[in-house]
Amino acid sequence: MPPKINPAFVEKVLVRFIRDEFARCGCGRGLLGLSGGLDSAVCAALAARALGPDAVLGLIMPYGRAFPGDVRDAVALARRLDIRAETIDIAPQVDLYFASRPEADRGRRGNKMARERMAILYDHSAREAGLVLGTSNKTELLLGYGTIYGDMACAINPMGDLYKTQVRELAAHLGIPAAIRRKAPTAGLWPGQTDEGDIGLAYEEIDDILCRLVEGRGSRREIIEAGHASAAVDLVLRRVRSSQFKRALPPIAKLSTRSVGHDFLYPYDRER
Amino acid sequence: MKIAVAQIAPKLGDVEANVGLHLDILEKARKQRAGLVVFPELSLTGYTLKDLAEEVALDPAADPRFRRLVARTKGLSAVVGFVEESPSDPGLLYNAAAFIADGRIVHIHRKVFLPTAGIFEEAKFFAQGRDFRAFDAPCGRTGLLVCRDFLQFGSSYVHYAAGAGVIICVSAAPGRGVGDGDTFETARMWELMGEAVSFFATAYVVYANRAGSEDGVTFAGGSFVYAPGGRLVARAAAVDPDLLCCALDPAAVARARKAWLFKRDEKPEAVWRSLERIVRASED
Repeated sequence: MPPKINPAFVEKVLVRFIRDEFARCGCGRGLLGLSGGLDSAVCAALAARALGPDAVLGLIMPYGRAFPGDVRDAVALARRLDIRAETIDIAPQVDLYFASRPEADRGRRGNKMARERMAILYDHSAREAGLVLGTSNKTELLLGYGTIYGDMACAINPMGDLYKTQVRELAAHLGIPAAIRRKAPTAGLWPGQTDEGDIGLAYEEIDDILCRLVEGRGSRREIIEAGHASAAVDLVLRRVRSSQFKRALPPIAKLSTRSVGHDFLYPYDRER
Repeated sequence: MKIAVAQIAPKLGDVEANVGLHLDILEKARKQRAGLVVFPELSLTGYTLKDLAEEVALDPAADPRFRRLVARTKGLSAVVGFVEESPSDPGLLYNAAAFIADGRIVHIHRKVFLPTAGIFEEAKFFAQGRDFRAFDAPCGRTGLLVCRDFLQFGSSYVHYAAGAGVIICVSAAPGRGVGDGDTFETARMWELMGEAVSFFATAYVVYANRAGSEDGVTFAGGSFVYAPGGRLVARAAAVDPDLLCCALDPAAVARARKAWLFKRDEKPEAVWRSLERIVRASED
């Protein structure tokens, strides 16, 4: 399993990271999508500690009335953290688009919803002169379990090096309500969807396999010998390999002697 | 003598702002009667420079900003990290540290071991230093190392063989690995080496790491001073900026070398002959 973390130390590092990044941009305000789930709750709590609750805006963006419980949990969380919150129903814009595309399956619809939420977040980022905080965790990033240019889009990501099981540890330390910590993780793209149902494995098993692969640099054979079913290992390996494009910027065809994306190399945090 | 380890978070790529930060801390340290102020690796420029390295490179003998800093060391010593591009070596950029004392540059060390793997890409942007040379300073004979130099334990040995009683390592070590401890797991690696070198080289080890974060990487802080004999004198905060002040007693080196006779019994010529044979054999 991924190592047990000292959540107080992790909180300190991530709060500092958020503060540093915002200070570099000369930006005091942050915003993020609040789904009513664990990851966005943890990210909101970190942002509230780093920037002050008044400087954080949580956008609650349900699709109609599909998930009333999640909306309630998100509103309650915002109140508890004392951050600002706005609710925007994305159903009208999504339904309008798909009205003339009845053949679209739920995968297409789900991705569209994630990208509508992204577009709304970025519009609000301009309105607020704020930065969008990403909420993808390490497990999702490694599996590619996210919509590229959708929920994966952000200015900074404080949580991308924490496995899902570690996010749970941090959530307990940050005082995230049990109602949020205990619900089954879901992308919330259609009723009844759960992450573990989608992927086909429990997060404990996924994280153990990923940690052996990534930090442990283990081979397929070694991970199977450690006690994992070969089907589970193969499933994880396949997902990691096939989603590399989601973890890198698109390649630029190189022509000149010095090219963006190849050998024009500057730090992201260059003083602005 | 009192020393101050300045665990700062420099502004990436902004030499002017960082000179200001250095001058502020020099004054603060002066008020605390420090005789030596040690800043971290690349303290004038920040660490994750990539192609910015060529924009922030300077000639320490001529650069007016650097000369301003040197001029403000009247009555004390300071170690400062910067990107060096000297007229004698045009076009070559070095990750360098200067020991400055009483308004004069005493010594410049160019980092020999440039980590280039995983998150590190120094050899893509910097030329390699080729020498470890101890020098005489107000704190006694001193050896200077930059970050990774210290983890290759032959580097400290060379300074020890040259008689250094103070080994100073300036560092920009990122924190890696979180477990249930109250700092990054890699912090232990530096202390382990500090403790061992200070014990077996019967020398002071002054380790100045930086704080802050760049491009998502958090520097682990945790600067420390070990006295000869492996005694931890002081340790700075993890991750956060800090100014670590403690005493450095040059007489402690002599005392330790009377109690533990490693230095008296050392045989650098035996090491040298063996190394020569090994190097020759590897070239065949």
